[in-house]
Amino acid sequence: MNPLKSSMYVMFKNETRMLYNQFKQTVRTPSMLLFYGITLFGIFFVSTVVSSMLALTPLIAETASLLESTIDRSTLFAAFAFLSATSVIGGYFGSGIASGLTVIQEIVLLPAPVLPYKVFLSSYLRRIVRKTVFALIGLIVILPLLTDASLLYYSTSLMIVCLIIFLETNYFLGAVSSYIRFVVERRTRSRWRYVVPFFLGVLFLLPALPEFTSAFTFAYLVPSNAFAFLFTEMTGLFSLDIGFLIGFVLQVIVFAIAVLLTANLCSYDYYELFSIVKGRETTEGNFSRIIRGEVDFSETRFQDPMVWIMLKDFYSRLRTPMQIWKYVYAVVGTITVLYLNLVHPAWFRPIQVPHDLAFAIVPAFLLMMILLVQMSSVTSMLSFVDEKENVYLLKASPFSSGDIVLAKFLLSLFEVGIAVIPACGFLVYILRIEGYLALLALAAPMTILFTAIGVAIGAYVPVLTNDPRTLPVPLAFSYPVIDLSLGALMIFIVTILAGNQGVLIALPLYTIGFTLIFLWFGAKALNTYK
Amino acid sequence: MAGADQYLIERADVSRLKSDELLRLARVLRIPLAKRAIQRSWLLDEVMLEFNRRGTGKGPVAKLQSPAIQIQGLEKRFGSKVAVRNLDLNVDPGEIVGIVGPNGAGKTTTLRILTGIIKPTLGTVKVNGYNMSSEAIKAKRCIGYIPEKPTCYPSLTVREYIMFMARIYNVPTEIALIRMREFVDMFQLDELLDTYIGTLSKGNLQRVLLVGIFVRPPPYVLAFDEPIYGLDPRGAWNLKALMKKLRNDGSAILMSTHMLGVASELCSRFVIMNEGEVVGRGTLEALLEYNKDARNLEEVFLGLTGGIPR
Repeated sequence: MNPLKSSMYVMFKNETRMLYNQFKQTVRTPSMLLFYGITLFGIFFVSTVVSSMLALTPLIAETASLLESTIDRSTLFAAFAFLSATSVIGGYFGSGIASGLTVIQEIVLLPAPVLPYKVFLSSYLRRIVRKTVFALIGLIVILPLLTDASLLYYSTSLMIVCLIIFLETNYFLGAVSSYIRFVVERRTRSRWRYVVPFFLGVLFLLPALPEFTSAFTFAYLVPSNAFAFLFTEMTGLFSLDIGFLIGFVLQVIVFAIAVLLTANLCSYDYYELFSIVKGRETTEGNFSRIIRGEVDFSETRFQDPMVWIMLKDFYSRLRTPMQIWKYVYAVVGTITVLYLNLVHPAWFRPIQVPHDLAFAIVPAFLLMMILLVQMSSVTSMLSFVDEKENVYLLKASPFSSGDIVLAKFLLSLFEVGIAVIPACGFLVYILRIEGYLALLALAAPMTILFTAIGVAIGAYVPVLTNDPRTLPVPLAFSYPVIDLSLGALMIFIVTILAGNQGVLIALPLYTIGFTLIFLWFGAKALNTYK
Repeated sequence: MAGADQYLIERADVSRLKSDELLRLARVLRIPLAKRAIQRSWLLDEVMLEFNRRGTGKGPVAKLQSPAIQIQGLEKRFGSKVAVRNLDLNVDPGEIVGIVGPNGAGKTTTLRILTGIIKPTLGTVKVNGYNMSSEAIKAKRCIGYIPEKPTCYPSLTVREYIMFMARIYNVPTEIALIRMREFVDMFQLDELLDTYIGTLSKGNLQRVLLVGIFVRPPPYVLAFDEPIYGLDPRGAWNLKALMKKLRNDGSAILMSTHMLGVASELCSRFVIMNEGEVVGRGTLEALLEYNKDARNLEEVFLGLTGGIPR
C-alpha cells in the first residue's frame, strides 16, 4: 500500500477510535452517564409532557399559512442567502481551516510526515460524526413532540441532515473566503482589498433575487438556493412542485465540491496561520502577575479581592474586539429600543398578530423572553472557561471560593443585564401585548437566576474534564435545559399565585433560593478541582 | 534515515515482549497457532525463524547524511518583530548541539521551523538532506520533536497512541511492537500502557511522547525543547543515558534548554541565542577560551546575555 495513502486511513481510524474511546469513557464514568441520562431522559420527558398538554398540529398548520401570508418566496431565499453571505464575510476575516487545528495536532501531526489536507479531512470526519450523532440523539429525544405535531420522522430527519449540510457548506465557503484574503493580502496592500469581502457577500446574495429563484434555474446550484428550494419543496411552502430530491442532490454535490475545494486549499500556510493565532493567545494574563505579587494593589481604593477579580475580568475581556462590539450593541441597542418604544415610528410597526393566533401570543411572549434572557446569559457560562489554565491559579489564590464565584456572578450579571435590556425592549415593541410590564418584570429574576446557573455550570468544567478551556458538550447542552425548566417553573408559580399577595414572597424566595443554590454549587465545584 | 527493514532485531528484543504481545506479534507474522498449548520458547523460535525467513532486520544499518540538520541564513519575522535573525547551524550525526538562551531568545521558534510547524521568512532548513520547504514530507519523516509543553490526544490510551505514531511513520507493526516494549520498559510505562493519555501527569506524558518517537527505528534526527523539564530524577537519568547512546549510535540531536548543567553534560557544542541572534557558539572549551572571565557554561551564558550579575 502506498504509505501516504495509508496514512489517511490511519488518521481516519485514529479519529474514530478517539470518538469510540470517549463514548466508552462516558459509559464507564457514573457521573457522566448520570448526567447524559438525566439530560436526555429529561428532554424526552419534557417533550412528552408538552406534547400531551398542547396540540401542536394546528399550530404548525397555522404557522405554515401565516408564513405564506406574511412573507414571499424571495424573502425566504434571501434569508438563507443572508446566512451564506454572513459566513463568507465572517470567514474572510477568520483564520479559515486553521481555526479547526488544535494544539495537540500542532504537536503530534504538524511535525509528522502527513500532508495538511489529511490533517484537515481526518479531523473533519470526527466533527461530522459528532454532529450527526448529536442530531440523531436530539431527534430521538424530541420524538414525542414530532409525533404530536404530525411531523414525519424521516422527513424531519432529512431536513435536519440537509440543514447540517447547508451549514457545513457555509463553513467551507468561509474557509475558501479566508483563503481568498490570504491570496489578496499577498498580492496587494491597497485599501481596496477591504472591499473584497463585501463583494463576496453580494456575490452570494445576488442569486437569491426573484429573477433567479422564481423558477428552477442554474442559480439553484448556490448552496443557499439549493437548501431554500429543498425547504420549500419538502414543506410545501411556495413549492414549485418539482420535488425535493433535486434540491437534496444539488446540496450534496455543492457540499462535496466545497469539501474537496477546501481540502485542496489546505497547505502548510495554515500551520503558520494557526501558530500565529495561538501565539497571540496568552495563557498568563495580568492576574498571574497579581497572584505573584507583581501588581501593587496597595494604592487601590478597592480593598476587596472580589472587586479585584471583577476588574481583572472586565479589563482582560475588554481587550477582545468581541467585547467592544458587545458594549457597542448594548448602547446602540438600548437607544434604539428606547426610540422605538417612545416614538413608535411609522417605518417599523409592531407585528400584527392574526386573530386566529391571538390565544398564543402571551405564551409566545413568555417563551421568547425566556429564550432571549437565556441567550443573553450564555456568556456567564464562559466566566470560568475564559480563565483557561489560569483557573487553577485562581483556585490556588488566597481568596475564598465563595468570593471567586460571587465575583464571577456579579460581573456576569452586569454583562448579561446590558445584553438583556435591548433584547427585551425589542420584544416588548415587536409583540405589543396587554399587561406586558407585569410579564417583563419576570425578566429581572430570570436574568439573576440564569446567570447563576451559567456561572455554576462554567465552574464545573475543570471538574469534569482536564481541559479547562473547552466547555464539554453535555454541560453546554444542559444549560438551556435547566434554564427552560426553571424559567417555565417560575412562570408557572407566578401564574398560580397571580392576583395573590403571596407572589411577592414566592417569586423573590424562588429566585434568591435557586440563585444561592447554584452559586453554592459553583463554590463546591471550585473546591473539587482535579 | 533507516528504513524499517534495516533495523536489527535480536532474540533478546523479542523475548522482552509480554505473552499477549508475543501472541499478537505471532498473529501479525501469520505464524500458525493451532496448538492447544503453546510454549513461550517455541513461539520465540518461530518468531525469530519467521523474521529470518522474511529477512526482517537484515541489511546495513542506515546512516544519516552529514550534516543531519542544516540551517542556513534563517530569519523569522512575526509582523515587524524579528524572532530569529541570520541563524546558521549544522548538526552532524553523532552530535548533540544545545541551543541555550533566555526566554524569548528564539530557541523554540528555531525548533518549530526545523520541524516544519512554521515556515522561515528567509533561509533554508534541511533535515537529513531534505529541504523542509520543498520536501516537507521526506524531511518530516526523519525528525522527531518533543515540545516544551507536551500535550497529546486525551482520548487515546498510551498503547493506541504509540501504535498510531508507528503507523503514521510507516513502521511495520511487528517492529513497532518490539520497539514499543523496549522503550515502555526503559521509561517505566508498562502500568500505564492501557491508561488514557488525558489522565497522565506531565512527566509521564513526556515519556509517552518520547516512546512515540523511538518506536521508529534509529538513527534519529531529534529536536528537543526542554526534554528533561518535568521528568523525575530516574526518568531524567534514563533520558540522558538514552540521548548519549543515541548520539553514540549516530543520531543527531538539537536540544533547547535552560538547564545549563544538563546542557554541559550532554552537548558537544552550544549555540547561545539572545533576542533572536546568535551571540556565542562552539564547544565549551572554545566558549571559555573566548570569554576569559567565565569559569563554566553558566557564566559564559550570563556574560553573553546581559552580563554576570555581581
